[in-house]
Amino acid sequence: MKTETLLQLKDVSVQYSGVHALDHVTVTLDEGEIVALMGPNGAGKSTILKAMFGLAPITHGEVLWHERAFTPISHEVVERGIAFVPQGRRVFSGLTVRENLEVGGYANRDKKLTSARIDEVLELFPALKTKLFVPSGSLSGGQQQQLAIARGLMTDPKVLLLDEPSLGLAPKIVKEVFALMQEINARRNTAIMVVEHNIKSLLSVATRGYVLDKGRVVAHGKPKELMKSNVLENVFTGKI
Amino acid sequence: MSIVPQIIINSIIAGSLYALVAMGFSLIYSVTKFFNLAHGVLAAVGGYGVFFFGRMLGLPVMVAVALGILIATLVGWLLERCVFSPLRSRKSSALVLLVASLGAFTAIQALIALLFGSQFLTLAPILEGGSPFTVAGATITDVQIVLVGTALAAFVCVWLILKKTSFGKVVRATADDEEVAKIVGINTHKVIGKTFVIGSMLAGMAGILSGFDTGIEPIMGLPLLLKGVIAAIIGGMGSVPGALLGAYLLGFSENVGVWFIPGEWKDAISFSILILFLLLRPFGILGRK
Repeated sequence: MKTETLLQLKDVSVQYSGVHALDHVTVTLDEGEIVALMGPNGAGKSTILKAMFGLAPITHGEVLWHERAFTPISHEVVERGIAFVPQGRRVFSGLTVRENLEVGGYANRDKKLTSARIDEVLELFPALKTKLFVPSGSLSGGQQQQLAIARGLMTDPKVLLLDEPSLGLAPKIVKEVFALMQEINARRNTAIMVVEHNIKSLLSVATRGYVLDKGRVVAHGKPKELMKSNVLENVFTGKI
Repeated sequence: MSIVPQIIINSIIAGSLYALVAMGFSLIYSVTKFFNLAHGVLAAVGGYGVFFFGRMLGLPVMVAVALGILIATLVGWLLERCVFSPLRSRKSSALVLLVASLGAFTAIQALIALLFGSQFLTLAPILEGGSPFTVAGATITDVQIVLVGTALAAFVCVWLILKKTSFGKVVRATADDEEVAKIVGINTHKVIGKTFVIGSMLAGMAGILSGFDTGIEPIMGLPLLLKGVIAAIIGGMGSVPGALLGAYLLGFSENVGVWFIPGEWKDAISFSILILFLLLRPFGILGRK
């Protein structure tokens, strides 16, 4: 069965103060996929997610949604059905867990829908159920990461962009995060594009992967193909 | 007769006036993270708005007051739309925004002086003043009672908006992390615009009530701004309850202080408190570290 391409960066370049963060990069995310973005620090992985979300200055190329070009502006991107969970567990620390989820559902423009969505999302994150009225700044790192992902799911997105969801978490929690990623993908067929340094765990859940180095895609394919080739070893040891 | 009740009443009156300015200033700071010095001149705009509509055009006092608040709000919103928002879009630093707001302050103040003259004017004839009241041995005028009531009512309204409404949560989220607010789908540009509307309204009210209480002059915005900023800092920048507490702490400190030392030292007391806070508790009473 042919799956539809939901989100695509087509020949995109991004520059920060004259420095190429992305150099003519093309990546796609199809319906129901989990796509891994891998590469050393500064390869441009996070910039891909930011470019898709209108948070990086695109100097060349275009972003396509359902194969139609659009100009990504953050608050409008959310309304298209794309959610982004940024790096570093950035929860609204002064707001309670419930308020974070309510704000996450802002684009729903319907209090009842948001309230129902909170109940649905909490089924995936039972640990948050008992913390609803706790300021999110006082949660543990793992709980904050769960909240950040839960907040991203509040609009029932078709696409979820995750930037280093396991960063700074204990190994046990990392396992839970990857299991959660699979569950989100399986339950609602949510397509996920994820940037992650934990390559082994990432490729165990991914459908496809892209390997980046110095702002360019140097390889892409199925996880097994990428594991068999020495491209990952080469980019991480600087041989490319 | 004891002077204590009068000191307490004077402190509450001064604190209420500072609170109106400080709450708006702090609210705007919470979402923009820059010191909007133009906030002070909006008080003068409000005061002169009432003077224009009430004394020059002879409109009824409540209409003049409503129009005065409206004009101050409009000027605040226009400054955000035409000056601060474009600068933020260009990723200008907080320092650039501060300088721009100082420029706006100076320009509007000069325009007021040009239109209405630099002399001190009174709004009193617009309001048919009753005799002062005596409360527990202290004297207070009807305008001052309205001033205190307005400050407290404004605090309750702003607090309820921030805590109980969807818009309030969105404002708090934007104040917490603007980039993540955008990421969850909030149009932060609009949110900041609406916050300017609320903040400017409060500044306008402060100017009008101060005008009815004492009078108006083009430079009236600066002392109000300075006291409002000090109150906002010692209360905790970005915290509306903090701004209220800071304002009353300032009002009490000044009025109790000038009982022991000459009145000219009032401002020195305020700035000493500011310096003490900056040294010992820079995040203020209710601010976050």
